[in-house]
Amino acid sequence: MGAVDLKVGGVVFGTILVFTLVANAIPQVQSDVPELIAFGAEVTAEELVAAGEGLFEGAGGCIACHAESAGARGPNLVTDYQGEGTIGQRCGDRIPGLDCKEYLYQSLTLPVDHLVDDYPPIMPALDRTMNPQQVWAVVAFLQSLGGEVTVTGADIPTEDAAGDAGGGLAAAGIPGVAGSDPVEIVNQECALCHLFAGGGIELGPPLDGLGARMTADEIRISILEPGAGVSEGYEELLGAMPATFGDRFTATQLESVVSYLSGLE
Amino acid sequence: MIQDRSWAGAGRWLLSAVVALAAGLLLAETLVAQAYVPPDYGADFPVIGSRAAVWIVAQVHLMFAAFVLGVPMFAVIAEAIALFGGEDRYDRLAKEFTRLLLVAYSATALLGGLFVFLLTTLYPALWSYLSEVFRISMWMYAGIFFAESATLYMYYYGWDQWKKGRAKLGHWGLGLLLNVWGTIALLIANSWLTFMMSPPGDLTPDTSPATVQFWSAFANATWMPINVHRLIANAVFGGAIVAAYAAYRFLKAKSDEERAHYDWMGYVGNMIAIGVFLVLPFAGYYLGREIYEFNQQMGVTMMGGFMSWLWIIQAFLIGVLFLAGNYYLWIGLGRIPGGERFAPYTKWMLLVLVVGVIVWATPHTMIADRAELAAMGGTFHPFLQPLGVMSAKNTAVNLMILTTFLSFLLYRRANKNPTVSWARTGTLSQGIVLLVCALVVLFYGIAGYFVPAIVRIGFSVYQVLAVLFTIIAVLVLDILIARGAESRGDIRWGRMPPRSQYALFVLVVTFTWLMGLMGFARSGIRQHWHVYEIVQDTSAYAATPALGYAAQIISASVVIFFLMLAFVFWIGGMIAKPALVPAAADAAAAEPVPGGSPGRSGSGADRGGGLEPGLEPLPGT
Amino acid sequence: MGRYTKHPFWQSLAVVVVSYALIRWGIAYLPGLVGITSAPVPASVVLQYTAIVLVGVLVWVSDNEERWTRFKEPIHAALVEPDKKVVRMSMMAVVPLLVAFATFNNVRPTISAPASLRSIHPAPPTQITFRGETIVLEGLENPLREPDLEEAAFELGKELYYQNCMPCHGDYLNAGGHYAPGFNPTPLELRGSSTIAQLTESFVFWRIAKGGPGLPREGGPWNSAMPVWEDFLTADEIWAVTLFLYDQAGIAPRTWEEEGIEE
Repeated sequence: MGAVDLKVGGVVFGTILVFTLVANAIPQVQSDVPELIAFGAEVTAEELVAAGEGLFEGAGGCIACHAESAGARGPNLVTDYQGEGTIGQRCGDRIPGLDCKEYLYQSLTLPVDHLVDDYPPIMPALDRTMNPQQVWAVVAFLQSLGGEVTVTGADIPTEDAAGDAGGGLAAAGIPGVAGSDPVEIVNQECALCHLFAGGGIELGPPLDGLGARMTADEIRISILEPGAGVSEGYEELLGAMPATFGDRFTATQLESVVSYLSGLE
Repeated sequence: MIQDRSWAGAGRWLLSAVVALAAGLLLAETLVAQAYVPPDYGADFPVIGSRAAVWIVAQVHLMFAAFVLGVPMFAVIAEAIALFGGEDRYDRLAKEFTRLLLVAYSATALLGGLFVFLLTTLYPALWSYLSEVFRISMWMYAGIFFAESATLYMYYYGWDQWKKGRAKLGHWGLGLLLNVWGTIALLIANSWLTFMMSPPGDLTPDTSPATVQFWSAFANATWMPINVHRLIANAVFGGAIVAAYAAYRFLKAKSDEERAHYDWMGYVGNMIAIGVFLVLPFAGYYLGREIYEFNQQMGVTMMGGFMSWLWIIQAFLIGVLFLAGNYYLWIGLGRIPGGERFAPYTKWMLLVLVVGVIVWATPHTMIADRAELAAMGGTFHPFLQPLGVMSAKNTAVNLMILTTFLSFLLYRRANKNPTVSWARTGTLSQGIVLLVCALVVLFYGIAGYFVPAIVRIGFSVYQVLAVLFTIIAVLVLDILIARGAESRGDIRWGRMPPRSQYALFVLVVTFTWLMGLMGFARSGIRQHWHVYEIVQDTSAYAATPALGYAAQIISASVVIFFLMLAFVFWIGGMIAKPALVPAAADAAAAEPVPGGSPGRSGSGADRGGGLEPGLEPLPGT
Repeated sequence: MGRYTKHPFWQSLAVVVVSYALIRWGIAYLPGLVGITSAPVPASVVLQYTAIVLVGVLVWVSDNEERWTRFKEPIHAALVEPDKKVVRMSMMAVVPLLVAFATFNNVRPTISAPASLRSIHPAPPTQITFRGETIVLEGLENPLREPDLEEAAFELGKELYYQNCMPCHGDYLNAGGHYAPGFNPTPLELRGSSTIAQLTESFVFWRIAKGGPGLPREGGPWNSAMPVWEDFLTADEIWAVTLFLYDQAGIAPRTWEEEGIEE
C-alpha cells in the first residue's frame, strides 16, 4: 500500500460517498404495496371513499394520468374537465343507459370500452392489479368527487365468492387442490382410487381411455355428483367417492381435468 | 347382491375397509403435504435482509459479467488492428486485456453461483416458477460456459503459440468465438429478467408456469431493447475499466516507457468508453419506448411517478461523466505539440457544459420549505420552471454531446498542419455544420414549448438525428482534411499529470454507479411484483425502496466490486509484466522514417479511422 | 490590481462569488427588471447550481499545467510562507467556525411546515349558490359589459377596488398592498399574463364571491386570507370590480369559445 493506492482509494471512495450523499439528500419516497382491504357488507361510504382515495393517489397510480395538468395522459378526474364538472358530476351522463356506478366500474375493469374523447387506449384493466374490494373503493372515491356515493357493501362480492381456490372451504379446514396441470391433479387426487396411466390404486373404474366411454358432460357430473350414477361393475362402490371435489376444485381446475379426461381415448 | 346378504355384508365390510384405507392414504398424503409445504420465502438473510443480499450479489455479478463481456469486444478489435494494420502494440494491448479477463471470468462465475444459491434459498417459490418456465434455457446457459471457458483458455494460452500467418488468423477467430459465446449467454440471461418485467400478455396469475410457451416468454416485449442496451453498455464499461487499470499502472509506473504505454492504453480505453457512451442514450430511448408500449403505467412510474427524482440524480452523474471526460481530453492537449493553440477555447466549451449540467439537473418540482414556497407561489419556480421540462433537458444534453465531440476534434487536430488545398474551406464548413446543428437543436428545444406533448416528442428525434448527422459528416470531413497533413510532432505519451489519471477513476466509478442506478430503475418499476402482474411479491420487502436506500445498496455493491477488481488487477500484475522492452524495440525499428513525416501520419490516419491519434508509434526513448 | 485580475486563483474566486450572487439574487431580481416574473430560488437549488459551478471552475483551473501551478501558488503561500502567518491563523479560526455554523444551521429546529403541492388556479365548480340563488358559472359573461353600462361600472369598480381590495392587491394590481407581506399564501398579482389573463370573468367572479373559504381542496394546504365577498358586495358590484380589474390591467378576459378550441 503506497501513497498512490491511498490516493486512488480516496478518489474512488470519495466519489461513491458523494453520490450516496446526494441521493440521500433529496426527499425520500418509497413506493408502497397496495393495501389489501377487506370490507364486509356493513361498510360505510366514508370508509370506501377513504380507502379509494388512498389507492387513487397512492398505490393505484391513478393520479399519474388523471390529475389536473396540461398534457395529462387521461381525462382529468380530480377537478373540472372541459366544463363538464368533476368525475362525480359527469359520470352519470357519459354513456346513455349506464348509471354513474355502473359506468365507473366498467371504465375501471374494461377501460378501453369507454374511451373519453381522443385519449389513447393505454389504461390497464384495474382488476388485474386490484382485488374487487379495492376496485369498488376507487369507484366510491370517484363518485365522491362531486357526486353522491352509491356504492354499498352489497356491491362488493364477499370473501367467499371472490376468494380463490377453495377460499370458503379453506376456512372450514378442507384443503383445496393444488396445481393447475390436469395430469398432476389427476395423479394427486384421482389416482388414489382409480387406475391411471400405469399407476394408481384399483378401487373405482380405471381412468385410462375414459374419453371413449364417457362424454365431457358425464365426466363433469360424475366428479361433481358422484352419487348420481355408477359405472357397470362398480355398483358396490356407489357412494364411496367423496362428493367434495366440486368444492375443492376451482372452476379452472375442474374444466382442465374434465377436458383432459374426456380426451383420453 | 340383494339376495345374498352375508356376501353383501362381507362386501360392505371389504368396501368400508378399502374406503378407510383410501381415506388413510389421502390423510397420509395430506399429512405429508402438511409436514412439508415449500415456503414462498426462505428464512430472512441475517442483518441486511434477503432483498439486499440478493440485490448486492446480483449487482456485483452483473458488473463482473459486463466487464467479462465488454473486454473481449475490444480485445478482438485491438487484435484485428494489429493483425490487419500491422500495429504490434495493439496486439500486446489485446493480450493484456485478456489476462485481466482470465481472473475476472472466474469471479463472475463464482458470483453467479452464489446468486443462484441465494435465490433458491431465499426466494424458493419465485425460483421454482422461473425454472418451470425457463428450465431448457437454464441448461443451455450452463452449457455455454463450458464452451466459453474452453475458448477463453485457448485464446489466452495460445497467444504466443499461434502467432504467425494463418494460425494467427485462427487465433483471432477464437476471439470472435469468445464474443459469440458471451453474447449468447447475455441473450439467455436477459430473457429471464425481461420476462419478469414484461411477461407475455396472455399470462395470468393462474397460468401454470409449465404451460407457458417457451418462446413467447423468452422473446418478450423488452428482451431485444435490453439486449441492445446492455451490449452497448458493456463495451462502455469494459473501456472504462481498462482505462482505470491503465491509470493505476500509470500512477505506479517506474519508467518512462511504462508510463507511455499505460498513458496510451488509458487513452484508448477512455476513447472507447466515451465514444460508445454517446450512443447509449438512443438505446435507452428505445428501451423506454418499449416499456411504455408494454404497459403505460409502468412507463409513467418510471418517468413521472415516484422515480422522477432518480433522473435528476442520473443527470448529475452524466454531468460528472461529461465533465471528467472532457477534462481528460483537455489535459491531454498538453502532451500534444500544437495543443496549446486550442487551450484558450476550452473555457468556452466548459461554459457550455456547466450550463448544460445546470439545465439538465434543474428539478421541475423544487425542494423548498414553507417560506420559499410562499415566495415562489407554488412548487414551480416562475422563472426556472421552463428548464425543468423535457425540451430543455434534451437540448442541454445534445449540446453537451456536440461540445464533447468538438473537444475530440480539437484533440485530433492539435498536432497537424493540414496540407490539402481546401483545408481552410473544409475547416470552415466543419464549423458551419457544427454551428447549424447547435442552432437546429436550440430551435427545436425552444419550439418544443409551443407545441403539444405529442409533437414535442417528435422534436427530440429531430434533435438527435441532427447531432448524429453532424458527428458523422464532420468526422468524415476531418479525416479527409487530415490526409497527408504535416505533423507538428508526435504525441508525447506519458507526459500527463497524475490528476488526469484520477479523472479516469472518477469516470469508471461514475459509470459503475450509474449502472447500478439504472439497474434499480429497471428492476424497481416492477414495484411489488416479482413477475409483473403475475407473481406478486408478498415478502416483507415488497415495497420499492426510496432512492436513498437504493443508493446505499448501489454504493455497497460498487465498493465490493472495486475491492474485488483491485484483487484482479493485482493478480493481473503478478502473472507477467507486459513486454515493454520489445515495444520500445519495435518503435525503434520503425524509427528510420523520421517522426512527423507527412507520409507516416497520413497512413496512420487511413488505418485507424476514429482512433487515429492513438496510432502514433511509441516514442523510442 | 492587475496582479489579482489576471491570476487564476482570484479569477476563480470571483467567478464562484459572482455565480453565487447571480443564482441567489440574480435569478430572483434581474428578470424583474425586464418585466419577467421571477422569485427567489430555493436554497436546495442554489446549493446545487453553485456546486456545479464550483466543479466547473476546478476543471478550468486544472486542465492546463501552467494555470494549475499558478492557481496553487496563493494556497501554498498561505500555508507555508512565514509572512502569511496572520492569514494562516485566521483561516484556522474561520474554517472551523464556518463548519460549526453550518452544522448548527442544519440541526437547529425550525417551525417550517412540510412542503406540499398547492394549485394556484383550482378548477371552478359548474355552478355556485350566491346569496341563496343559483348561478351557473359555465358560459357566464359579465352582464355589465354592455356599451351603455360599461363606463359607470368601471367607475363603480374602481371605487370598490380602492375601498376593499387595494390594501392587499396593491395600487398597481401587483400584489404590493401594505398588508400583502403578512399573508401566506401571498395575495395574487393581477397584472401580467399568468393570472387573471388566463381566466374567464366568471372564474374571477367565483373567486371574489367565495374567497379563501370557498377554495376546493387542491387550493390548500394553507388558508387563503381572501374574504367571502358575497357577504359584503352584491353580484353587480362584484361584476363591476371584475370589469375594472381587466380594464386596469390592460388585458382581455379569457372567453368561453377560446377554451373550447384549446381543449
